[in-house]
Amino acid sequence: MKAAATTMEEKSNEQDLRSTQVSRFGKLVNAVGIYGIALLFIVLGIVLEVTGVIHGFMTIQNMMNIVDAVAILGMVAVGMAFVTYSGSFSDMSVPTTMALTGIIAIQMLQYGFWVAITSALGVGLIIGLINGLAIGKLRVNSMIWTLAMNYVTMGIIRLVWVNKQIYPDMTGASEQSIKMFDDIFRYKVFNAISLPVVVLALMVIAGQFIMSRTVFGAHLKLTGSSRRTAKFSGINVERIVTVAFVISAVAATIGGLTITSLGRVGAWYNGSGYDFKAVTAVVIGGMALSGGRGSIVGVLGGALVMGLMSNIMTLLGIGTFSQDMIRGAIFIIVVGINAKSLRSLGRDDA
Amino acid sequence: MSEQEMGIALDMKGVSKRFPGTIAVDDVSFQVYAGEVHALVGENGAGKSTLMKILAGSFNDYTGEIFINKKKVQLHTPFEARRNGIGMVYQELSLARPISIAENLLAGRLPTKRGFVDRKALYAESKHLLAMVGLDIDPWMPVEDISQHEAQLVEIARVLGAQPCILVMDEPTSALSNEEVERLFGLIRNLKKAGIAIVYISHHLPEIFKIADRVTVMRDGKKVATKGISDVSHTEIVQMMVGRSIKEFYNREERQISPEIRFKVSSLTRYGFFNRISFEVKKGEILGICGLSGAGRSELARALVGLDHTDEGTIELDGQQVKSHSMASRVEQGIAYLTEDRKTEGLAFRLPVDDNIMSPIIHRYSKFSVYSKRKGMPAVNSLINELAIYPPDPTRVVGNLSGGNQQKVLLAKWLASSPKVLILDEPTRGVDIGAKTTIHKTIGNLAKDGTSIILISSDLPELVSLSDRVMVMVNGKFTREMKYEECTEESVLLAANGEGGK
Repeated sequence: MKAAATTMEEKSNEQDLRSTQVSRFGKLVNAVGIYGIALLFIVLGIVLEVTGVIHGFMTIQNMMNIVDAVAILGMVAVGMAFVTYSGSFSDMSVPTTMALTGIIAIQMLQYGFWVAITSALGVGLIIGLINGLAIGKLRVNSMIWTLAMNYVTMGIIRLVWVNKQIYPDMTGASEQSIKMFDDIFRYKVFNAISLPVVVLALMVIAGQFIMSRTVFGAHLKLTGSSRRTAKFSGINVERIVTVAFVISAVAATIGGLTITSLGRVGAWYNGSGYDFKAVTAVVIGGMALSGGRGSIVGVLGGALVMGLMSNIMTLLGIGTFSQDMIRGAIFIIVVGINAKSLRSLGRDDA
Repeated sequence: MSEQEMGIALDMKGVSKRFPGTIAVDDVSFQVYAGEVHALVGENGAGKSTLMKILAGSFNDYTGEIFINKKKVQLHTPFEARRNGIGMVYQELSLARPISIAENLLAGRLPTKRGFVDRKALYAESKHLLAMVGLDIDPWMPVEDISQHEAQLVEIARVLGAQPCILVMDEPTSALSNEEVERLFGLIRNLKKAGIAIVYISHHLPEIFKIADRVTVMRDGKKVATKGISDVSHTEIVQMMVGRSIKEFYNREERQISPEIRFKVSSLTRYGFFNRISFEVKKGEILGICGLSGAGRSELARALVGLDHTDEGTIELDGQQVKSHSMASRVEQGIAYLTEDRKTEGLAFRLPVDDNIMSPIIHRYSKFSVYSKRKGMPAVNSLINELAIYPPDPTRVVGNLSGGNQQKVLLAKWLASSPKVLILDEPTRGVDIGAKTTIHKTIGNLAKDGTSIILISSDLPELVSLSDRVMVMVNGKFTREMKYEECTEESVLLAANGEGGK
């Protein structure tokens, strides 16, 4: 009986073989391919430099600019990736989370560097918890909720700090605290690698590990793939989604501290644009917007490509608005290709 | 008047459809007369769905010829199929839930007047279509406010609105109760009288004997035979489907039921769903729960496993009261629930077999919350073997498996949790006979090994033959308990329809 039943179904399964292989191949392309694309951008930059179209691409200073830009975007994107992976699309409250936590840190710097950092992380944690509980428990649409959260946080910043920008040396903080805060962005580990790059590397390693090896990661994957199935498997999906948003907010806080240290100023505009840039990095890094698919390593590649692209466009003299337009177009194209290739694999649920 | 006189409505000649590496439909010739109900049967993967998809215009690369009313047609797009008078009623309803019945019925061809929707005409036209399927409901009602049965009829009405000459119905009764099925059959008979050719796909053979005039059996992409329904027996059809003679389907093995009470439920109540439910299940016993859809069976199951809250009553496992309310902790204590809806609740279709099977118990293979998939693989592989999941490849994405194999993966997922009490909700819905037999055998073996099983099923032969006792549920209450000896399909059905039935 068993054997017979098996042959019976052989046929329908054989016809699916191809699509599985394609998707496995696709996975490989997603994970590795993004670095190929990054390499292409580097080659493009070199070609443009050699042919004299742009100047200064191959300088050490420029390479460092790229790495620094990638570091901040990468931090935010790694956190955002958890939200996307959980099937909640994206965390649009990232920009003001970055701004507010940076401002909080500077405001608290007078009580010492570590107090400042802890307060910033605490505020980030609270924002993440509020997002997560609303979206996980109350099942509010994540995009709408986090977008609203972004405006609420912005309102708080404008209300409390009345458009004022605050500087570390204005707050009566000690020389040492100010120096340490400045060093968040500027410190060189072993006198060579900048601290944000090291932080990003640690975040990528930790993120990749959490996603692929821990029970939380497995539950997150199931929740992202099919929230209802996860619930019917006994998984506390509310908690899983909440933790994903907390991770995103804390990662945004780390990014916010870094960008605040970079500018040596706490201001409402710190972090603006990072919502969309991070989602784009997540998506071109091969993570499915519908959740449950992709990797942190891929997302890092996505951030790298975004950084290279911005750099080359800036060197080409393309204005900020045009750059935004191009980034938007790329986002649309990638999401479109993603959806189309999934549909052609017969899985239009994604 | 014989069907032949009314002429051949659909004539498919030597139709084939290849997929890379396989032929899904292999040189099939298939004729349907106007005014007949033609059943199309075969196991999952036999090619019947692909054949019907060809008819629906899903493929532009089939070979062979198709004639509709003796005119040669090309069905390369769904539009061409519709224009040539083919109507498809799918198993999954394709209605938009928040909008009104009327707008659903006439979607895509709303009557307009000077550029605006003509509400009056829309109302009249929908009323007319609803009357055709015997529904007297307000067309302005949103679809989400009507019952599953009514929605199914609305779906048919919508397809009828396009005035098809050939109507394909794919498992139209899978979500309906017996009474509702009868009403649907009444409608089908009317359509027949109107001269519409009906292709009726079903896994449920007794239905076919009730409604079909002829039956075509497919196996491995080929047509096995077309027979008049009166010239063929139930067993013969099954033999043609599986390609060999089989013994009695539901072969009951004698089991020893231990006197030990494993699971005890006392006056469990969830207001509005079920009321004062009490029962006991012994170690190694299979308790069947029977009832019409909407009687509260699934709601009870969900409450037992902790997915829904309860308002009153207690649950005891091995003499200990189950206090925790989370499903995760109940799974840990040994209560498992196999949902009736494998597609959206049971499995993650985009994930591979191993991830699905391990999902509820991944923490058991972990240390400090870091898991080792490798440690769980022996259990996964042995379940794949035991249940003959095909292909026996744990990395295969579940959505790419056939329905029967998906259901086996779902069963494997809960077997992996080694439950003491396993609640099965429609464990063989929509699966082929091969998979069904494997699943039944597995359920029997589990009981033999001492697992207590609560079996909820609308498949009466399954329920009657597997269960040691059957509890009948009507409107959220247990109304009767039947011993195995008293259980026949008829007696159980009568009880489920309310004592004595109508």
